[in-house]
Amino acid sequence: MSQTTIRSIIVDDDPFIRDLLQDKLKQYVPEVEIIDVAVSGAEGVEKILRWKPDLIFLDVEMTDMTGFEMLAKLEEVYFETIFITSYSHYAIKAIRFNALDYLVKPIDLGELKMAIRRYQKRMAQKRPVNKIQQALANLRAPSSGAKQLILMTQEGEVRLPLASILRIEGERNYSCIHLVGGKKKLTTKTLSDLEEMLSEDDFFRCHKSHLVNAAHISRQPTSVSLVMSDNTELPISRRKKEDFKRWKEEVLGTTS
Amino acid sequence: MDIKWNKDILDLSSLQELSRRNPDAFERYLRQFQELIPGRIEALEESLSAGERKMVRQILHKMSPQLQFFGIPDVLAPIKRLEHEYETIELSDLQQLVEVVVERLSTAIVEVDNILDTYF
Repeated sequence: MSQTTIRSIIVDDDPFIRDLLQDKLKQYVPEVEIIDVAVSGAEGVEKILRWKPDLIFLDVEMTDMTGFEMLAKLEEVYFETIFITSYSHYAIKAIRFNALDYLVKPIDLGELKMAIRRYQKRMAQKRPVNKIQQALANLRAPSSGAKQLILMTQEGEVRLPLASILRIEGERNYSCIHLVGGKKKLTTKTLSDLEEMLSEDDFFRCHKSHLVNAAHISRQPTSVSLVMSDNTELPISRRKKEDFKRWKEEVLGTTS
Repeated sequence: MDIKWNKDILDLSSLQELSRRNPDAFERYLRQFQELIPGRIEALEESLSAGERKMVRQILHKMSPQLQFFGIPDVLAPIKRLEHEYETIELSDLQQLVEVVVERLSTAIVEVDNILDTYF
């Protein structure tokens, strides 16, 4: 593992988090050198352009702008980003949807060390830093179908247009994503993880083992079953029957 | 630094761990608390009077990690509740929750002042 110095900037408007992160990095992850700190999004842009860091630690919610808004102000994102957020923050969905790295306040030391190891691993494998660009494109996407889900699968990182996902089948510790054209992708994310990430994008958990894309439901022959566009018939659990009906009316605008 | 820092409101054991018993770092965090929290209480009270629920949530959200390190009991539960209910909670309940937080924080500030006056 390379021990090259990682030139970093902290962008956070909370002085406590800035100090806390600096102290933990100095004490336990000395290969990370904090070359500067920025106390707002505007200052973050200025300091990133000035110092050209390898890595930034970025607060998702600052007084003057969000972390994503700050990144969108840069013409080029050539550096890696570790977001700083809290579990309850709405941005965590966007972060997880785009497979971005993040730390949860008040910043656990083990998580911090692991985030740095993941960064070092990405650098050693010379993986391109373009997940942020995809994340920004997803945030600007005019519809759910235009978004791309970024996932780690057995083949490495894959990007799946949401429009191409028919349904997702959950197993105990992994999920199988069924795509248009009969292809499948396996991911170590659980069905619950994916449900959380996709619930605002017209996906519905109709059964403990099935998450379906509204765009690919072709018909509902009975109140406890539905047929997808590839003719697969799936069950709707009795417990979900009423929720499914409400969701279908809301998303598809149909009552039958 | 073998002084027992636990007071009526504060439990500074996490802060001690974070500063690795380095008195300078420990003092820096205490002074930061002393400087930051009164301003945040003021902002909290102003936002509450103006009925700005979102701002109340935002201020509490920002303070939360610092308060965890200062081990202040009884404030994290209301903060967590407000994270989810800030839009729907009755204004009188919101007021009551904020009052609890402000009361605890005011006592915490006095304790931090006393520690700084006595030991630093």
